Amino acid sequence: MEVKQFFGGIHVPHYKSFTEHKAIKEASLPEEIIIPLLQHTGAPNEPLVNVGDKVKAGQKIGATDKFVSAPVHASLSGTVTAIEPRPFITGQMIDSIVIAVDKNQDKLELANNDLDKVSKEDIINAVKEAGIVGMGGAAFPTAIKLSPPPDKKVDALIINGCECEPYLTCDHRLMLEKPAELLQGIKLLMKMLSVEEAYLCIEDNKDDAIEAVRQENDDPNIVLLRMPTKYPQGSEKHLVKAALDREIPSGGLPFDIGALIQNVGTCVAIYEAVKYNKPLIERVVAVTGQNLKDPQNLMVKIGTPLSHIIDECGGIVEEPAKVVVGGPMTGRAQETLNVPVVKGTTGVVVLPPDMALEDMEYSDCVRCCKCVEHCPMLLYPNQISIYCEAGMIEDALEWNTMDCIECGICAYVCPSKRPITQLVQRTKPLIRELLSKR
Amino acid sequence: MNDTHKFVVSSSPHIKSQDTVSNAMRDVFIALMPITLVSIYFFRFYAVLTIAVCLVTAVLTEILFKKLMHKKPQLHDWSALLTGLFVAMLFQATTPWYKAALATFIAVGIAKELAGGLGWNRFNPALFGRVALVILAPLYAYVNQWFQPLAIHLGPLDTITQATPLAMLRAGLEMPPISELFFAFPAGALAEVSPFALLLGAAYLFYRKHIGWRIPVSILATMIILTLITGENPVYHLVTGGIMIGAFFMATDWVTSPMTDKGKIIFGVAIGVLVVVFRVGFMITEGVAFAILIMNAFVPMIEKATSRPQFGKIKAVAVPMAEKK
Ligand code: SF4
Ligand code: SF4
Repeated sequence: MEVKQFFGGIHVPHYKSFTEHKAIKEASLPEEIIIPLLQHTGAPNEPLVNVGDKVKAGQKIGATDKFVSAPVHASLSGTVTAIEPRPFITGQMIDSIVIAVDKNQDKLELANNDLDKVSKEDIINAVKEAGIVGMGGAAFPTAIKLSPPPDKKVDALIINGCECEPYLTCDHRLMLEKPAELLQGIKLLMKMLSVEEAYLCIEDNKDDAIEAVRQENDDPNIVLLRMPTKYPQGSEKHLVKAALDREIPSGGLPFDIGALIQNVGTCVAIYEAVKYNKPLIERVVAVTGQNLKDPQNLMVKIGTPLSHIIDECGGIVEEPAKVVVGGPMTGRAQETLNVPVVKGTTGVVVLPPDMALEDMEYSDCVRCCKCVEHCPMLLYPNQISIYCEAGMIEDALEWNTMDCIECGICAYVCPSKRPITQLVQRTKPLIRELLSKR
Repeated sequence: MNDTHKFVVSSSPHIKSQDTVSNAMRDVFIALMPITLVSIYFFRFYAVLTIAVCLVTAVLTEILFKKLMHKKPQLHDWSALLTGLFVAMLFQATTPWYKAALATFIAVGIAKELAGGLGWNRFNPALFGRVALVILAPLYAYVNQWFQPLAIHLGPLDTITQATPLAMLRAGLEMPPISELFFAFPAGALAEVSPFALLLGAAYLFYRKHIGWRIPVSILATMIILTLITGENPVYHLVTGGIMIGAFFMATDWVTSPMTDKGKIIFGVAIGVLVVVFRVGFMITEGVAFAILIMNAFVPMIEKATSRPQFGKIKAVAVPMAEKK
């Protein structure tokens, strides 16, 4: 099928060779796990256990009756040692349940449901119970996403297997190693949403994954789309544009144009939740970067501290280093390794000293328009950066700062090294404030 | 592992391209090398002197103005040097050195630094400096008296006395063969001696993606069409005067050209029209410089009129509903 190209975007160096050919490996047992009560977009959970309690792997330990939320589970058996604020990947402190992990772990007790017999209700309940959130990084509760408002009809399901960020390979390996589970998950979603067709989008730098899924696929209604490799192909707006040639209106959401997007990791998690009643307690994390001795794709229990998986990969080679959770274009640099892997953690990238850029000195815009040429949202990042820098909120709004998806391209290409994305991030809350006053 | 590490923390993106402003400016400098060498070949020490004076003045002016404005000199971004070289290219080799120096001072000091520094200037600095001396000719004549004794005489150079081809064209004289004008013809400003050398430089800038096709192509195409209509030979117009350096190096200046794609075309067409009007209508030989500066003034207006709608605003989105069965 013909795939539409979107305007703008760039070809960033992939840096995927560190881990793209390494099979997913089970990470070793950490001594301690830290389960943040809030690791999704929405309301925080209340702890269901107390300090000193014994918990079993898979046991639900945090939940809330607020609508937009997803429960959390103990990913390993052990004893609760603390319920207290702990550092989180955003740099904030988040209330977390800390568990000392038992040396001997029992095997997880799993059901084995007949997928042909499950109803829509069963699917949504399983997804909700398993605490599944978007695993591509956004961490929006999946059960909510699967229940669009009644006036919005979803007619196309898009599965995001683009993984357009440099370095990251977790989705790539998952598609390659678990194509059957992925396809089962997609079928469950199609059933749940009563859609006829699903489009599985994979960038053409992952042809082995495309082939693996093609071999396994027996449903003509699951269409494989081979996408041109271009950042940010995996952005929801650009994916819908490329796959369906529909444009999400400014300020709108995918279901405004009848589309629903799920990440491949989420599909596998959905399959496991419906088939085995397995909660989301582990995920694939690409632990990678030039500055890591032995980069790996690890199957990591949620709550495992970064220090544990970095040790598992041979440790950091050279300092000063920069440790980024997520991809290098949009991820967050960490101050400490005592933060846990959570449901939305796609990768941990350890950058070497020469790439461990501080906020560098930047100069005035020379109007070269490289940012304008590449902005995938067709904005004028140069104007935006000038107004955001000067604190001219009204003008920043006028130049559509709110439409910025913070993809980082403008700051990447700018020869004056202007921190445009950062300026936007700083200004958006101010604009929201202004709008709320109107 | 405990936290004995010191990590670098900054905001995304965590990787950056290798492009820098100084690399880009240096590339433009490199692109000007062919024409510089050809002009030095023809005009020998005259050319060397003019260029050297402009480069030195440019650097000193930047240092002076940055000091006055309490800023750090940005010499490493090459932009002062580049402006200096551009100014030199716009003068004839026999121009008194102090005239070239004065133009450079105006270009770097007034057109650029006083406007707020690189990125904030509305007008192309080199053209501004050059045209300032044309407009301020009476004043310059006055200044000239004091400086006359400082003039440096480098001895005779026969090529220099020739009338410039554009003046010959305007006067209706018999023209040298086009091929000679295109490859190398020693008359006029330094930048006018070889359209071919300028095209080589422009090709390099294209290759390095520093300039786009829109501005130069629309300038040249407009000129060709208009000169054909007025019954002149377009080829002569393209190979004479400052049109090549104007279209490929001056009008494409990042800072002073429109940032929108459509705007670039409007900008180019307007410059083409103005050049022809000046040349054919008013017999002004500095037409290119005037045309570009005039259009520089209109850039914000052009940008406003041609800015593109952001993603999601391109067309009204019809929501395709699934047929309910
Ligand atoms: S970060 Fe925003 S402004 Fe910059 S390129 Fe991406 S969408 Fe455009
Ligand atoms: S890339 Fe940087 S210097 Fe170039 S126009 Fe954009 S903000 Fe200005």
